[in-house]
Amino acid sequence: MWGSDLVAKRPEFFQVVKSPFDGTEVVCVKALVPDYAIIHVQEADIYGNCRILGPSYQDALMARAAKKTIVTTERIVGTYRMKEEPKLTAVPHFLVEAVVELPGGAKPGICYPEYQAVEWPKHKAYQKAVKEGQVPQYADSMLEGRL
Amino acid sequence: MEYGKPEMMAVAIMRAISDGDIVFHGLASSTPMVAMKAAKAMGKTFTYLTLSDGVDHDYLKPPTVASTLTANTYEGSVATFGLDEIFDLYSSGKGDIAFLSCLQMDKSGRIAMSYLGGTYDNPKLRGPGGAGSATLTPVTKKTIIWKPQHDKRTFVEHVEFATTSPDVNKEFTVITTLCIFKKPAGEKYLKVHTIFPYTTLEEVKENTGWQIDETNVPVMDPPTEEELRALKLVDPNNILGFEFK
Repeated sequence: MWGSDLVAKRPEFFQVVKSPFDGTEVVCVKALVPDYAIIHVQEADIYGNCRILGPSYQDALMARAAKKTIVTTERIVGTYRMKEEPKLTAVPHFLVEAVVELPGGAKPGICYPEYQAVEWPKHKAYQKAVKEGQVPQYADSMLEGRL
Repeated sequence: MEYGKPEMMAVAIMRAISDGDIVFHGLASSTPMVAMKAAKAMGKTFTYLTLSDGVDHDYLKPPTVASTLTANTYEGSVATFGLDEIFDLYSSGKGDIAFLSCLQMDKSGRIAMSYLGGTYDNPKLRGPGGAGSATLTPVTKKTIIWKPQHDKRTFVEHVEFATTSPDVNKEFTVITTLCIFKKPAGEKYLKVHTIFPYTTLEEVKENTGWQIDETNVPVMDPPTEEELRALKLVDPNNILGFEFK
């Protein structure tokens, strides 16, 4: 963060302090603690153990940072799947508050390898809904016939 | 083979990578994505890191959109290494090159990514912010900014609010559609390092918002047939052209 005007501009997030180890100046960044992380995964069991079977981005990090994590999943699987390959469990159950089975839950975005292309007309409709404050109506249209 | 600004910029990026380098490009970075795939196709042995988590993905998987988060930068990878891990790696001084971009820049390499016009709290244009560039620029051995434009709106006399700025003790490079600027380690200001074959120093001066004192700069060799073939091989859908439309 050295050389960034953000450090002086946002003291609530950035502070320069002396390192207790060698006295050099370092930029400290305040930890973000979201109330909720909502992540979408390919496989979860009913206890919240999650397998991310493609790029995981910072999902596991967010699940650790948030006070509560809600998982939506392409499919619910048996816990035996996790036992076969524990390393593939990116988020363990004790970090997870709720699991929702929601195939296609990342649409109009992508969930590798289940669906790999952004659905642009729907994505544009979502952007429009955000601008116009119509997100609940947009969500209703996405879920029509599925609940 | 014919070439234009996209191919020349991509080739300048390819030539900036050395064997053994650890190299990262960011989000929405179709120009360095195609160039890095082509550098792989030319046989350069460097480590390719990006936000899709993939490490050294199969460079022959062609991009179909300009997004750099799609399957083509993930499939065939030999490992996964996420952005948080990349930030840790570079903060430990182990990253050689980061290809980043900017909204505006001035002669000392101060980069605007947070906003343009107005004030911080009430901007005319809100930018993507400083997650990548503010974190990586101070700690990367060789930061390389790629910018598919070269005009006075981009290269300005003074950047009002710098999202990041280069470490005076590190090399810092800017690749534009017309030239390469470099700030050598230990120096404060950017200098014209090389111009591309289809332009002149005069044209660079006319399109740069700060005073350029250099009078005689070398001209970069045009792309070779082999380099142009590598670009075509990895990018049959011409995603390289996206930023230049």
